[in-house]
Amino acid sequence: MSEENSKVSRRSFLRHAGVAGAGVAALPLISNAQNAPPISESEKPYVPDGAQDVRLNINGKNYDLKIEPRVTLLDCLRENLNLTGTKKGCDHGQCGACTIHVNGKRVNSCLSLAIAHQGDAITTIEGLGTTQKPHPMQKAFMEHDAYQCGYCTSGQIMSATALLKEPCGKAAGDVREAMSGNICRCGAYKNILEAIQDVRGV
Amino acid sequence: MDKIQTVKPSREARHDAPLKVTGQAKYTSDFNFPRMAYAVPVCATVGKGKIRAIDSSSARAMKGVLGVYSRENIGALYRPTKEASMDYRIDEARPPFEDDLITYYGQYVAVAVAETFELAQAAAKAVKVSYVSEKPKLGGKLEQEDLKKTDHERGDAAKAFAQAEVKVDHVYVTPTEVHNPIELHATVAHWTSPDKVTLYETSQAIHAQRNVMAQILGIPRENVQVITKFLGSGFGGKLWCWPHSAIAAATARKLNRPVKLVTDRHMAFTNVGHRPRTEQRIQLGADKNGKFKALIHDYASQSSMDDEYKENCGEVSGFLYGVSDVKVTSGVARRNQSVPTAMRGPGAVPGLHALESAVDELAIALNMDPVALRILNDTNDDQMTKKPFSSRHLKECLELGAQKFGWSKRNAKIGSMKDGDEIIGYGVAACTWPARRLDADAAVEFTRDGRVKISCGTHDVGTGMYTVLANIVHEETGIAKDKIDVELGDTNLPKGPIAGGSMATGSVVPAVVEACKKAKKNLLTAATKIQSSPFKGLKDDEIKFEKGLVTGKRGGKMDFASLLKKLNMSSAAGLASVKGNMAAMDKEKFSTKSFGAQFVEIGWNPLLAKLRVRRVVSVIDAGRIINFQPARNQIEGAIVMGVGMGLFEYAVTDARDGFIANANLADYVMPVHADCPEIDVTFLDYPDKEANAYGARGVGEIGLAGIAPAICAAVHHATGVRVRELPVRIEDLLAT
Ligand code: FES
Ligand code: FES
Repeated sequence: MSEENSKVSRRSFLRHAGVAGAGVAALPLISNAQNAPPISESEKPYVPDGAQDVRLNINGKNYDLKIEPRVTLLDCLRENLNLTGTKKGCDHGQCGACTIHVNGKRVNSCLSLAIAHQGDAITTIEGLGTTQKPHPMQKAFMEHDAYQCGYCTSGQIMSATALLKEPCGKAAGDVREAMSGNICRCGAYKNILEAIQDVRGV
Repeated sequence: MDKIQTVKPSREARHDAPLKVTGQAKYTSDFNFPRMAYAVPVCATVGKGKIRAIDSSSARAMKGVLGVYSRENIGALYRPTKEASMDYRIDEARPPFEDDLITYYGQYVAVAVAETFELAQAAAKAVKVSYVSEKPKLGGKLEQEDLKKTDHERGDAAKAFAQAEVKVDHVYVTPTEVHNPIELHATVAHWTSPDKVTLYETSQAIHAQRNVMAQILGIPRENVQVITKFLGSGFGGKLWCWPHSAIAAATARKLNRPVKLVTDRHMAFTNVGHRPRTEQRIQLGADKNGKFKALIHDYASQSSMDDEYKENCGEVSGFLYGVSDVKVTSGVARRNQSVPTAMRGPGAVPGLHALESAVDELAIALNMDPVALRILNDTNDDQMTKKPFSSRHLKECLELGAQKFGWSKRNAKIGSMKDGDEIIGYGVAACTWPARRLDADAAVEFTRDGRVKISCGTHDVGTGMYTVLANIVHEETGIAKDKIDVELGDTNLPKGPIAGGSMATGSVVPAVVEACKKAKKNLLTAATKIQSSPFKGLKDDEIKFEKGLVTGKRGGKMDFASLLKKLNMSSAAGLASVKGNMAAMDKEKFSTKSFGAQFVEIGWNPLLAKLRVRRVVSVIDAGRIINFQPARNQIEGAIVMGVGMGLFEYAVTDARDGFIANANLADYVMPVHADCPEIDVTFLDYPDKEANAYGARGVGEIGLAGIAPAICAAVHHATGVRVRELPVRIEDLLAT
């Protein structure tokens, strides 16, 4: 199994989780431990009837999966690939928590089927930057305290970084309008706006 | 005026910031386990009646479906103890699937569990439930039908109101509001042995969750571990146990596999509480100079058929102003609707909509400035408990707020202020929230790898608890923040308080400070006593701990990690237990409350029928502010929620069956970026030593209080329309 082209077995699924865990341990912090029980080599992910072979390119890496055509991109990321940085807030395209990039454009992953994205370049929050090397938008969100609970944050950041390449006016009102698909129930809008304008140099 | 002390703004990233911006913070539904199964509940489609039959044959026949469970086969689930304390609190006490009775639309009747989420969803849809349907009791005027009580009485309010020279008498209505945190309620249940379970929960109260779940499942309390590392906010809706937790745990036990149950957005409206509709009559009377003479506040809140939740709307009516004669009465009206629960600023927030709207209406009747009227009726004593306030600066809030807002530019004449096509309205309201402290245990440990570990079984719900505790220990020890680890959200940790009622920070901080002091002392004592120590024999005052270094009077310096190694110790620890004041509130000498003033500017464009909140100035008197940036963020966010309460939010109930017609995030309108006004928040800086050693009274709820009535006052100023039933709808203004 090559690094670039991995079949997602239970084992690599957990290995992936382990990698995320290691990144966390290096931080001044907060125990984020996952009490994952030991598993045996023989345990394979369940393959439902009607599952299709699907290859997705996510954060520059290919993943080969066997999933049903009805699996949304969001559930595929979270439940099949353990890329849980992308969040579910409504499953109906109404909150923006699940925003990711498909070929550089922002997309609500809950409204999109995974199987429809073979050959696309998918970027999630995990692929944007790391704790050691954050994207400027991630940095600005930290500096401006542009969240409270942090649950909408992945979506806000993915929307905000996509917006940098969109024809969006300079004014605060333009950004507010363009970001209105991403609800923050904690109401950190003022700080999110400041963070975005900071990165845009406005 | 220039003597008013305010907190200087400061800026620093949160302790958990790197995790939150990279998607690495682990929220409940982010926990995945090998062999994990998925559960999707089936909800009742009648508002009242009985289950006639459940046909799950086609669901069970689907390949990959592990089971369909209902009353017939879920096994024993027990009723938990119910008490008002925070240890055994539950609002919906009926365990899921207890009997065939349906008392509200959406009630769980069955659950499908399958190998994948998609299969579980399909199976849940395939379960056919038939009902014997009855006509539910819904809607209508809310009267005090049950749980009737006189909350407070002093003097003869009826007589004083009859004699008052100027008076107002109106009914104010607040609608059913839904918390709608973006993180959906979820449980991941993982049985580690046949009678031991770890529950990953979306909980603001892990210890109560553990106690209650142990009872529901019928296993010893110590066999239940509850974990909430990060919470995607809750606003009160995640305080107490909801039925989905029992469903996840019970099915996981049956199947001997981990089970993940994530509620959907519709369930957020029907299965995990809401702020109930209230109807409140306020009779407020004054003499002709504006001095309040009488206040009568009678209210009823909507409740479910079986439970005890009452929205405590009169909570602040007895103490916000100086009034000699006051009466507050309450009750609930039972309807076939799901169980309500506390939502941000429970009681006071809807209560203040009524009270502060009435004050505004009285100001107009008196032809007085509403700021001046409030200042005139300011008081230094809590007349409800007959105690002085420990620290009350409402007057300063109003004065400073008026100055920052530019209140003096207000022309009181209705519709007289314009900006382009918009008619401008100014409105003001006062706000308050009680400060209380809960019991808290915490541990601090200096470890031989050179780190400091803080642990407390409380939560960070977005309020910044991780950051507050790291900062406090940094202050106490001088140890760099990147060497400080904070562990929260696990019932295996020392017992911390719930994250609710604006109480957590003020309760946990004193415990952590004390634990830290103890740990330092224990380290130094060991250093003077143990044979292998370079500081052996020194007296207590000849050795000190600074910036992570232990220094002896006769020279000698050693970092604590090296010292611990020398002493053959793994760590130096301190555990502290600090009592709250909830149990002995009556014995307190002072009344501790936070106060604030909210100034709102709205714009009404009659050509486009467009109404918006343009800006909000908020001045808050909450004692010491421990963490400026997250604290301001709390108030700003609460103001945004207040815009929702004022202009948008209400659950629409179908009068036929109780179906919530707008149970989704497109039709239940919540403020988005474009709705966010300009916001200016100032904190007064008067630390309240009576509240706790740190002088902090908490900022979680108060920012929401007063926003809706200030919006209504501003709408009236712009349009002449007095909206007494929230939210303000465009239809209300179209006649103008
Ligand atoms: S989860 Fe996709 S928009 Fe809400
Ligand atoms: S930070 Fe909590 S929803 Fe945005």
